[in-house]
Amino acid sequence: MTHTARRIQARFIFGGAVLVVCGLLLAFSAAGQSATTRTAHKVGSTPAEKAPAPARAINAEEMQGLLKRDGTRPLLVNYWATWCDPCRAEFPDLVKIDNQYRPKGLDFIAITLDDLADLKTAVPKFLRLMNARMPVYLLNVPDPEPAINSVDKEWGGALPATFLYNNKGEVVYKHFGRVKTDELRTAIDKVMSDK
Amino acid sequence: MKKLKAISLMLALLAIAFVANARTADADVPAPPVIGATIVDFTLPDAGGTAHSLASLKGKNGTVLIFIAVQCPVSNGYNERMEKLAQDYKARGINVVGINANSTESAGDVKDHAAKNNLTFPILKDNGNKVADALGATRTPEAYFLDANNKLLYHGRIDNSRDISQVNSSELRDALEATLAGKPVAKATANAFGCSIKRAE
Repeated sequence: MTHTARRIQARFIFGGAVLVVCGLLLAFSAAGQSATTRTAHKVGSTPAEKAPAPARAINAEEMQGLLKRDGTRPLLVNYWATWCDPCRAEFPDLVKIDNQYRPKGLDFIAITLDDLADLKTAVPKFLRLMNARMPVYLLNVPDPEPAINSVDKEWGGALPATFLYNNKGEVVYKHFGRVKTDELRTAIDKVMSDK
Repeated sequence: MKKLKAISLMLALLAIAFVANARTADADVPAPPVIGATIVDFTLPDAGGTAHSLASLKGKNGTVLIFIAVQCPVSNGYNERMEKLAQDYKARGINVVGINANSTESAGDVKDHAAKNNLTFPILKDNGNKVADALGATRTPEAYFLDANNKLLYHGRIDNSRDISQVNSSELRDALEATLAGKPVAKATANAFGCSIKRAE
Protein backbone atom coordinates (compact mmCIF):
# COMPACT_ATOMS: atom_id res chain seq x y z
CA MET A 1 0.00 0.00 0.00
CA THR A 2 1.40 3.37 -0.98
CA HIS A 3 1.75 6.21 1.45
CA THR A 4 -1.06 8.19 -0.19
CA ALA A 5 -3.39 5.21 -0.15
CA ARG A 6 -2.66 4.70 3.53
CA ARG A 7 -3.40 8.33 4.23
CA ILE A 8 -6.72 8.07 2.38
CA GLN A 9 -7.54 4.91 4.30
CA ALA A 10 -6.73 6.64 7.56
CA ARG A 11 -8.95 9.51 6.58
CA PHE A 12 -11.79 7.10 5.85
CA ILE A 13 -11.41 5.40 9.20
CA PHE A 14 -11.40 8.77 10.96
CA GLY A 15 -14.41 9.89 8.89
CA GLY A 16 -16.19 6.64 9.71
CA ALA A 17 -15.55 7.10 13.42
CA VAL A 18 -16.93 10.63 13.28
CA LEU A 19 -20.05 9.33 11.53
CA VAL A 20 -20.56 6.61 14.12
CA VAL A 21 -20.24 9.12 16.95
CA CYS A 22 -22.65 11.48 15.20
CA GLY A 23 -25.05 8.62 14.63
CA LEU A 24 -24.91 7.60 18.28
CA LEU A 25 -25.44 11.18 19.43
CA LEU A 26 -28.39 11.45 17.08
CA ALA A 27 -29.83 8.17 18.29
CA PHE A 28 -29.51 9.24 21.94
CA SER A 29 -31.01 12.65 21.37
CA ALA A 30 -33.80 11.17 19.24
CA ALA A 31 -34.63 8.57 21.90
CA GLY A 32 -35.74 11.30 24.26
CA GLN A 33 -38.05 12.95 21.77
CA SER A 34 -41.58 12.38 20.56
CA ALA A 35 -42.31 9.85 17.83
CA THR A 36 -42.94 12.50 15.18
CA THR A 37 -39.67 14.32 15.75
CA ARG A 38 -37.89 11.01 15.76
CA THR A 39 -39.24 10.17 12.32
CA ALA A 40 -38.20 13.59 11.09
CA HIS A 41 -34.68 13.02 12.41
CA LYS A 42 -34.47 9.64 10.76
CA VAL A 43 -35.59 10.94 7.37
CA GLY A 44 -33.28 13.93 7.67
CA SER A 45 -30.26 11.82 8.50
CA THR A 46 -30.67 9.32 5.65
CA PRO A 47 -27.92 10.19 3.18
CA ALA A 48 -28.79 10.74 -0.49
CA GLU A 49 -31.79 8.43 -0.95
CA LYS A 50 -32.14 6.90 -4.36
CA ALA A 51 -34.24 9.12 -6.61
CA PRO A 52 -37.62 7.58 -7.51
CA ALA A 53 -37.99 6.02 -10.96
CA PRO A 54 -39.79 8.29 -13.43
CA ALA A 55 -43.52 7.71 -13.96
CA ARG A 56 -44.26 5.25 -16.73
CA ALA A 57 -47.28 4.88 -19.03
CA ILE A 58 -49.17 1.59 -18.77
CA ASN A 59 -52.23 0.05 -20.44
CA ALA A 60 -55.18 -1.63 -18.69
CA GLU A 61 -53.58 -5.11 -18.77
CA GLU A 62 -50.35 -3.86 -17.25
CA MET A 63 -52.41 -2.15 -14.55
CA GLN A 64 -54.18 -5.41 -13.70
CA GLY A 65 -50.76 -7.06 -13.47
CA LEU A 66 -49.61 -4.45 -10.98
CA LEU A 67 -52.63 -5.10 -8.75
CA LYS A 68 -51.85 -8.84 -8.46
CA ARG A 69 -50.31 -10.04 -5.19
CA ASP A 70 -48.04 -13.02 -4.55
CA GLY A 71 -48.99 -13.52 -0.90
CA THR A 72 -46.17 -11.49 0.62
CA ARG A 73 -46.97 -7.78 0.79
CA PRO A 74 -50.25 -5.85 0.96
CA LEU A 75 -50.73 -3.07 -1.58
CA LEU A 76 -52.10 0.44 -1.42
CA VAL A 77 -53.22 2.00 -4.72
CA ASN A 78 -54.18 5.62 -5.23
CA TYR A 79 -55.77 6.88 -8.46
CA TRP A 80 -55.17 10.57 -8.97
CA ALA A 81 -54.40 13.34 -11.45
CA THR A 82 -52.59 16.65 -11.26
CA TRP A 83 -55.81 18.38 -12.39
CA CYS A 84 -57.73 16.96 -9.43
CA ASP A 85 -57.82 19.31 -6.41
CA PRO A 86 -58.61 16.76 -3.68
CA CYS A 87 -55.96 14.42 -5.18
CA ARG A 88 -53.30 17.07 -4.76
CA ALA A 89 -54.62 17.93 -1.31
CA GLU A 90 -54.34 14.37 0.00
CA PHE A 91 -50.98 13.58 -1.62
CA PRO A 92 -48.73 14.81 1.21
CA ASP A 93 -50.57 12.45 3.59
CA LEU A 94 -50.05 9.58 1.16
CA VAL A 95 -46.33 10.35 0.88
CA LYS A 96 -46.13 10.23 4.68
CA ILE A 97 -47.94 6.91 4.74
CA ASP A 98 -45.58 5.57 2.06
CA ASN A 99 -42.51 6.65 4.02
CA GLN A 100 -43.85 5.19 7.20
CA TYR A 101 -45.25 1.87 6.02
CA ARG A 102 -43.08 0.82 3.08
CA PRO A 103 -40.17 -0.17 5.36
CA LYS A 104 -42.69 -2.23 7.36
CA GLY A 105 -43.81 -4.18 4.29
CA LEU A 106 -46.51 -2.19 2.49
CA ASP A 107 -46.32 -1.70 -1.26
CA PHE A 108 -47.80 1.52 -2.60
CA ILE A 109 -48.37 2.56 -6.19
CA ALA A 110 -49.94 5.75 -7.48
CA ILE A 111 -51.75 5.62 -10.81
CA THR A 112 -52.35 8.94 -12.52
CA LEU A 113 -55.07 9.68 -15.05
CA ASP A 114 -53.27 12.68 -16.46
CA ASP A 115 -52.88 13.02 -20.21
CA LEU A 116 -49.93 11.25 -21.79
CA ALA A 117 -48.51 14.69 -22.63
CA ASP A 118 -48.19 15.40 -18.88
CA LEU A 119 -46.02 12.33 -18.23
CA LYS A 120 -42.80 14.26 -18.62
CA THR A 121 -44.01 17.66 -17.38
CA ALA A 122 -46.81 18.20 -14.88
CA VAL A 123 -46.57 14.73 -13.32
CA PRO A 124 -42.83 14.65 -12.41
CA LYS A 125 -43.01 18.31 -11.37
CA PHE A 126 -45.76 17.55 -8.89
CA LEU A 127 -44.06 14.38 -7.62
CA ARG A 128 -40.83 16.29 -7.02
CA LEU A 129 -42.72 18.96 -5.11
CA MET A 130 -44.33 16.25 -2.99
CA ASN A 131 -41.01 14.45 -2.49
CA ALA A 132 -42.88 11.31 -3.54
CA ARG A 133 -40.92 8.04 -3.73
CA MET A 134 -43.59 5.45 -4.53
CA PRO A 135 -43.74 4.01 -8.09
CA VAL A 136 -46.05 6.10 -10.26
CA TYR A 137 -47.79 4.96 -13.45
CA LEU A 138 -49.91 6.82 -15.97
CA LEU A 139 -52.89 4.82 -17.16
CA ASN A 140 -53.07 5.43 -20.88
CA VAL A 141 -56.27 3.92 -22.29
CA PRO A 142 -58.49 4.98 -25.21
CA ASP A 143 -61.59 3.90 -23.25
CA PRO A 144 -61.48 4.16 -19.44
CA GLU A 145 -64.58 1.96 -18.86
CA PRO A 146 -62.96 -1.53 -18.84
CA ALA A 147 -60.12 -0.35 -16.59
CA ILE A 148 -62.49 1.26 -14.07
CA ASN A 149 -64.78 -1.78 -14.04
CA SER A 150 -61.86 -4.17 -13.59
CA VAL A 151 -60.77 -2.34 -10.44
CA ASP A 152 -64.09 -2.14 -8.61
CA LYS A 153 -67.77 -2.57 -9.49
CA GLU A 154 -68.84 0.24 -7.18
CA TRP A 155 -66.38 2.72 -8.64
CA GLY A 156 -67.70 5.05 -11.31
CA GLY A 157 -64.35 6.71 -11.98
CA ALA A 158 -64.48 9.61 -9.50
CA LEU A 159 -61.02 10.82 -8.49
CA PRO A 160 -59.28 10.42 -6.19
CA ALA A 161 -59.93 6.78 -5.35
CA THR A 162 -57.88 4.68 -2.95
CA PHE A 163 -57.84 0.90 -2.59
CA LEU A 164 -56.03 -1.28 -0.07
CA TYR A 165 -55.38 -4.92 -1.00
CA ASN A 166 -54.25 -7.64 1.37
CA ASN A 167 -51.33 -9.86 0.37
CA LYS A 168 -53.74 -12.19 -1.43
CA GLY A 169 -54.93 -9.35 -3.65
CA GLU A 170 -58.36 -8.90 -2.07
CA VAL A 171 -59.71 -5.36 -1.53
CA VAL A 172 -59.91 -4.80 2.23
CA TYR A 173 -60.53 -1.05 2.20
CA LYS A 174 -61.58 1.50 -0.39
CA HIS A 175 -62.38 5.17 -0.42
CA PHE A 176 -63.67 7.44 -3.17
CA GLY A 177 -62.86 11.13 -2.77
CA ARG A 178 -60.22 12.62 -0.49
CA VAL A 179 -58.92 10.03 1.94
CA LYS A 180 -59.67 10.16 5.63
CA THR A 181 -56.12 9.61 6.83
CA ASP A 182 -57.01 8.14 10.24
CA GLU A 183 -59.40 5.66 8.66
CA LEU A 184 -56.80 4.66 6.06
CA ARG A 185 -54.06 4.23 8.67
CA THR A 186 -56.33 2.04 10.78
CA ALA A 187 -57.05 -0.13 7.72
CA ILE A 188 -53.32 -0.37 6.89
CA ASP A 189 -52.41 -1.30 10.48
CA LYS A 190 -55.04 -4.00 10.36
CA VAL A 191 -53.96 -5.51 7.04
CA MET A 192 -50.32 -5.44 8.13
CA SER A 193 -51.10 -7.24 11.38
CA ASP A 194 -53.35 -9.79 9.65
CA LYS A 195 -50.70 -11.07 7.31
CA MET B 1 -30.93 28.97 0.28
CA LYS B 2 -32.97 31.17 -2.02
CA LYS B 3 -34.28 28.08 -3.76
CA LEU B 4 -35.20 26.53 -0.42
CA LYS B 5 -37.10 29.66 0.55
CA ALA B 6 -38.93 29.68 -2.76
CA ILE B 7 -39.91 26.04 -2.31
CA SER B 8 -41.12 26.65 1.26
CA LEU B 9 -43.18 29.57 0.06
CA MET B 10 -44.68 27.50 -2.74
CA LEU B 11 -45.51 24.71 -0.31
CA ALA B 12 -47.11 27.17 2.07
CA LEU B 13 -49.21 28.64 -0.73
CA LEU B 14 -50.19 25.19 -1.88
CA ALA B 15 -51.19 24.26 1.64
CA ILE B 16 -53.42 27.33 1.83
CA ALA B 17 -54.95 26.51 -1.54
CA PHE B 18 -55.61 22.94 -0.36
CA VAL B 19 -57.34 24.03 2.81
CA ALA B 20 -59.45 26.52 0.89
CA ASN B 21 -60.31 24.11 -1.88
CA ALA B 22 -60.58 20.64 -0.58
CA ARG B 23 -63.51 19.02 1.10
CA THR B 24 -63.80 15.43 1.97
CA ALA B 25 -66.01 13.65 -0.50
CA ASP B 26 -68.17 11.09 1.22
CA ALA B 27 -67.47 7.47 0.37
CA ASP B 28 -70.88 6.43 1.66
CA VAL B 29 -72.80 7.79 -1.29
CA PRO B 30 -76.07 5.90 -1.77
CA ALA B 31 -76.07 3.52 -4.74
CA PRO B 32 -77.58 4.99 -7.91
CA PRO B 33 -81.07 3.90 -8.95
CA VAL B 34 -81.11 0.86 -11.22
CA ILE B 35 -81.75 1.30 -14.93
CA GLY B 36 -85.52 1.29 -15.43
CA ALA B 37 -86.28 2.89 -12.06
CA THR B 38 -88.53 5.94 -12.02
CA ILE B 39 -86.86 9.11 -10.76
CA VAL B 40 -89.00 10.90 -8.19
CA ASP B 41 -89.75 14.57 -8.92
CA PHE B 42 -87.52 17.09 -7.13
CA THR B 43 -87.27 20.86 -6.83
CA LEU B 44 -84.02 22.84 -6.79
CA PRO B 45 -83.17 26.52 -7.19
CA ASP B 46 -81.26 27.83 -10.22
CA ALA B 47 -78.23 30.10 -9.76
CA GLY B 48 -80.56 33.10 -9.46
CA GLY B 49 -82.52 31.45 -6.65
CA THR B 50 -85.68 30.60 -8.63
CA ALA B 51 -87.01 27.15 -7.78
CA HIS B 52 -87.66 24.64 -10.58
CA SER B 53 -89.15 21.18 -10.38
CA LEU B 54 -88.05 18.35 -12.64
CA ALA B 55 -91.67 18.28 -13.88
CA SER B 56 -91.39 21.91 -15.01
CA LEU B 57 -88.07 21.37 -16.84
CA LYS B 58 -88.56 17.97 -18.44
CA GLY B 59 -88.81 17.55 -22.19
CA LYS B 60 -91.80 15.85 -23.77
CA ASN B 61 -89.54 13.03 -24.99
CA GLY B 62 -87.18 12.94 -22.06
CA THR B 63 -84.67 14.77 -19.90
CA VAL B 64 -80.90 14.64 -19.52
CA LEU B 65 -79.61 15.56 -16.07
CA ILE B 66 -75.88 16.23 -15.94
CA PHE B 67 -73.90 16.85 -12.76
CA ILE B 68 -71.40 19.52 -13.69
CA ALA B 69 -68.77 21.64 -11.97
CA VAL B 70 -67.28 25.10 -12.16
CA GLN B 71 -63.68 24.10 -11.45
CA CYS B 72 -63.37 20.49 -12.63
CA PRO B 73 -61.22 20.27 -15.79
CA VAL B 74 -63.04 17.14 -16.95
CA SER B 75 -66.46 18.79 -16.64
CA ASN B 76 -65.08 21.92 -18.29
CA GLY B 77 -63.71 19.82 -21.12
CA TYR B 78 -67.35 18.98 -21.89
CA ASN B 79 -68.84 22.50 -21.81
CA GLU B 80 -69.15 22.82 -25.58
CA ARG B 81 -70.35 19.24 -25.99
CA MET B 82 -73.02 19.71 -23.31
CA GLU B 83 -74.24 22.96 -24.85
CA LYS B 84 -74.36 21.35 -28.29
CA LEU B 85 -76.28 18.40 -26.87
CA ALA B 86 -78.83 20.79 -25.37
CA GLN B 87 -79.17 22.67 -28.69
CA ASP B 88 -79.35 19.51 -30.81
CA TYR B 89 -82.11 17.82 -28.79
CA LYS B 90 -84.27 20.75 -27.64
CA ALA B 91 -86.23 20.76 -30.89
CA ARG B 92 -86.58 17.00 -30.64
CA GLY B 93 -88.24 17.18 -27.23
CA ILE B 94 -85.36 16.27 -24.93
CA ASN B 95 -84.22 18.91 -22.43
CA VAL B 96 -80.79 19.12 -20.84
CA VAL B 97 -80.56 20.26 -17.21
CA GLY B 98 -77.27 20.84 -15.41
CA ILE B 99 -76.92 20.28 -11.67
CA ASN B 100 -74.08 21.67 -9.57
CA ALA B 101 -73.82 19.75 -6.29
CA ASN B 102 -70.37 20.96 -5.23
CA SER B 103 -70.51 22.57 -1.80
CA THR B 104 -67.29 24.38 -2.75
CA GLU B 105 -68.98 26.28 -5.60
CA SER B 106 -71.54 29.02 -4.91
CA ALA B 107 -74.63 29.98 -6.92
CA GLY B 108 -72.65 33.06 -7.98
CA ASP B 109 -69.81 30.87 -9.25
CA VAL B 110 -72.31 28.77 -11.20
CA LYS B 111 -73.88 31.86 -12.77
CA ASP B 112 -70.50 33.36 -13.79
CA HIS B 113 -69.26 30.05 -15.14
CA ALA B 114 -72.38 29.50 -17.26
CA ALA B 115 -72.14 33.01 -18.69
CA LYS B 116 -68.43 32.71 -19.44
CA ASN B 117 -68.84 29.35 -21.15
CA ASN B 118 -72.11 30.17 -22.98
CA LEU B 119 -74.06 27.43 -21.24
CA THR B 120 -77.69 28.27 -22.00
CA PHE B 121 -79.43 25.20 -20.53
CA PRO B 122 -80.81 25.56 -17.00
CA ILE B 123 -78.35 24.82 -14.19
CA LEU B 124 -79.66 24.02 -10.73
CA LYS B 125 -77.83 24.31 -7.43
CA ASP B 126 -78.11 21.17 -5.34
CA ASN B 127 -77.29 22.54 -1.91
CA GLY B 128 -76.85 19.70 0.56
CA ASN B 129 -76.56 17.14 -2.28
CA LYS B 130 -80.19 16.10 -1.92
CA VAL B 131 -80.54 15.17 -5.59
CA ALA B 132 -76.94 13.93 -5.95
CA ASP B 133 -77.67 11.50 -3.11
CA ALA B 134 -81.02 10.45 -4.58
CA LEU B 135 -79.29 9.69 -7.89
CA GLY B 136 -76.10 8.27 -6.36
CA ALA B 137 -74.02 10.77 -8.33
CA THR B 138 -70.30 10.73 -7.50
CA ARG B 139 -68.46 12.73 -10.14
CA THR B 140 -68.56 15.46 -12.74
CA PRO B 141 -69.58 15.18 -15.46
CA GLU B 142 -72.09 12.40 -14.80
CA ALA B 143 -75.25 12.08 -16.90
CA TYR B 144 -78.70 10.56 -16.35
CA PHE B 145 -81.15 10.19 -19.21
CA LEU B 146 -84.81 9.88 -18.21
CA ASP B 147 -87.59 9.08 -20.66
CA ALA B 148 -90.86 11.03 -20.92
CA ASN B 149 -92.09 9.26 -17.76
CA ASN B 150 -88.87 9.93 -15.80
CA LYS B 151 -87.77 6.33 -16.15
CA LEU B 152 -83.97 6.04 -16.03
CA LEU B 153 -82.69 4.73 -19.36
CA TYR B 154 -79.01 5.64 -19.23
CA HIS B 155 -76.53 6.55 -16.50
CA GLY B 156 -72.86 7.42 -16.85
CA ARG B 157 -70.44 9.26 -19.02
CA ILE B 158 -71.20 11.56 -21.93
CA ASP B 159 -68.63 9.81 -24.15
CA ASN B 160 -65.30 8.01 -23.80
CA SER B 161 -62.85 10.92 -23.64
CA ARG B 162 -62.59 14.39 -22.18
CA ASP B 163 -60.30 15.12 -25.14
CA ILE B 164 -62.78 15.66 -27.98
CA SER B 165 -60.26 14.48 -30.61
CA GLN B 166 -60.17 11.04 -28.92
CA VAL B 167 -63.93 10.45 -28.83
CA ASN B 168 -65.02 7.27 -30.58
CA SER B 169 -68.07 6.23 -28.57
CA SER B 170 -70.88 8.57 -27.50
CA GLU B 171 -73.06 6.48 -25.20
CA LEU B 172 -75.30 9.35 -24.04
CA ARG B 173 -76.17 10.49 -27.58
CA ASP B 174 -76.64 6.86 -28.62
CA ALA B 175 -79.16 6.42 -25.78
CA LEU B 176 -81.07 9.54 -26.85
CA GLU B 177 -81.13 8.49 -30.50
CA ALA B 178 -82.28 4.97 -29.68
CA THR B 179 -85.09 6.29 -27.49
CA LEU B 180 -86.24 8.82 -30.10
CA ALA B 181 -86.29 5.98 -32.64
CA GLY B 182 -88.38 3.87 -30.26
CA LYS B 183 -85.58 1.34 -29.74
CA PRO B 184 -84.09 0.03 -26.51
CA VAL B 185 -80.85 1.61 -25.28
CA ALA B 186 -77.98 -0.71 -26.21
CA LYS B 187 -75.54 0.38 -23.51
CA ALA B 188 -77.32 1.70 -20.42
CA THR B 189 -74.27 2.48 -18.27
CA ALA B 190 -70.69 3.52 -18.97
CA ASN B 191 -67.98 4.89 -16.70
CA ALA B 192 -65.24 7.45 -17.14
CA PHE B 193 -62.82 9.25 -14.88
CA GLY B 194 -64.08 12.52 -13.45
CA CYS B 195 -63.82 14.84 -10.46
CA SER B 196 -65.41 13.81 -7.18
CA ILE B 197 -68.53 15.74 -6.28
CA LYS B 198 -67.56 17.81 -3.24
CA ARG B 199 -70.44 17.03 -0.93
CA ALA B 200 -71.42 19.19 2.02
CA GLU B 201 -70.08 17.80 5.29
